[in-house]
Amino acid sequence: MYRIWYYFRETFASIWRNLSLTLAAIFTVAISLALVGSSLLVREGAERATAQFQEGVEFIVFMNADASIDQDGAIREVLDNSPAIKDYAYVNQEQAYEEFSTLFSDKPDLVNSVSPAVMPPSYRIVPTDPSAANVTELARQFANQPGVKEVATATEAIRQIDDFSTRVSQALLVAAVVLVVVSALLILNTVFTAIGARRQEIEVMKLVGATNWFIRIPFMLEGTIHGLIGAGLAIPALFVVDNKVLAFFQESDAVPLFRGFAVPSGFVWDTSIWLLLIGGAVGMIGSAIAVTRYLDV
Amino acid sequence: MIRLENVTKVYKGDVTALRGVNLEIQRGEFVFLVGQSGSGKSTFIRLLNREEVADSGKILLAGKDLGSLRSWSVPALRRNIGCIFQDYKLLEKKTVAENVAFALEVIGQPRPVIRKQVPAILDLVGLSQKAGRFPDELSGGEQQRVSIARAFANRPTVMLADEPTGNLDPATSVGIMKLLDLINRRGTTVVMATHDRSIVNSMQRRVIELDRGVVVRDDSHGIYDEPNGAYE
Repeated sequence: MYRIWYYFRETFASIWRNLSLTLAAIFTVAISLALVGSSLLVREGAERATAQFQEGVEFIVFMNADASIDQDGAIREVLDNSPAIKDYAYVNQEQAYEEFSTLFSDKPDLVNSVSPAVMPPSYRIVPTDPSAANVTELARQFANQPGVKEVATATEAIRQIDDFSTRVSQALLVAAVVLVVVSALLILNTVFTAIGARRQEIEVMKLVGATNWFIRIPFMLEGTIHGLIGAGLAIPALFVVDNKVLAFFQESDAVPLFRGFAVPSGFVWDTSIWLLLIGGAVGMIGSAIAVTRYLDV
Repeated sequence: MIRLENVTKVYKGDVTALRGVNLEIQRGEFVFLVGQSGSGKSTFIRLLNREEVADSGKILLAGKDLGSLRSWSVPALRRNIGCIFQDYKLLEKKTVAENVAFALEVIGQPRPVIRKQVPAILDLVGLSQKAGRFPDELSGGEQQRVSIARAFANRPTVMLADEPTGNLDPATSVGIMKLLDLINRRGTTVVMATHDRSIVNSMQRRVIELDRGVVVRDDSHGIYDEPNGAYE
């Protein structure tokens, strides 16, 4: 009990004595962890956005309106037997016409210009593997079949969103890793300075028989507290990213594809806990290196 | 209490500080280590305190073999040893009482024990009136008394003193020696390295003389200079 009081008293006295370096270390931790967190949020958001999209992915094989029964049967046989196809729905000419009419109900001239006879029948297909690469490959194969007019896929949209989020989260992550290393070094340096400021006390402590851990713990606690406070400051930044940046994409009409770009608030809290763990670990590692290298106990 | 068997210590650059030292110090003895600068006195003290480790030979202190002592058991050894130095090594930002309390605090003594012990020790060294002063408000002799109080706070069985009167005038030195004598009479073994001829001569205690790392004299009731020719 006395000992715990001693550790905290010494730790906070040291933080106070060394305030400017301490603040530098804390803010660097905060910035780097805010970037780590943002990177995780963007990646999670992108995964969810594309997952929503993927659920509804049907690449569509449009047949020629005058495709022969044999040509149609060949496609149907592939769809029925290929393990790459999970499910499909056939949209005949009547249904296509109805859908077209509904879609363009505000343009009766356009609707009147077509008839069921000119509408292409189509297969709306749910592939077993919805990844963009696979869908593109399947679409290519179907496009080469006789009687097929064209194949439309949603993969382009998916690729865009994947590329965007990958690039953003990778850039954030690289910056974050660099800054995490910088913050560990700053914490190391701060703790080193703290050790220097207490050199005489440490000498006396060794002399009278204080245990090694008794001498080490306040310094390691100091570094760990830097990391935890830094992480604490990074957490509000996460909520700002969630509420402002991700929300901007969701509400944006300019990029409708990003409307699914959201993370549940539970994920933000989970990420916050990760940031605290990372911050604490960075602080502890930084100070442990300082203690083992410069304390010589 | 303390036994050295054929102890040799060589520093970097082939400087031999101690060579083949054999001796035994009994519990409760008061021993002066004398010899010129560089004769190995300080190394002797540092070996007993395990600030240094002997290159060969064996050192036993309170039943422990210092050579094979693990680094994590050094603190336990040091709690049994009080150390004082020529430069006192007091903490400038702590008061007299805080300096003494610090030594007890960092070895995990509970607060009530510290509160009881510190005034008793300050009384012993005659500094009760100055408990709240800072080191730079004290004379050299008073600072050394604080340092003795700190070293004695945990009631060590051995007290090591490296030139404790080196910075003090003769009259003040006598006061410090009386204090060390008092501590010795309470049962603590005292080993003191010194240059101070008059102190050694007046105390009439065991004298061990070192010359270039070798024990050249060991008198149970010695003086600083043996009469010429005694050991030639």
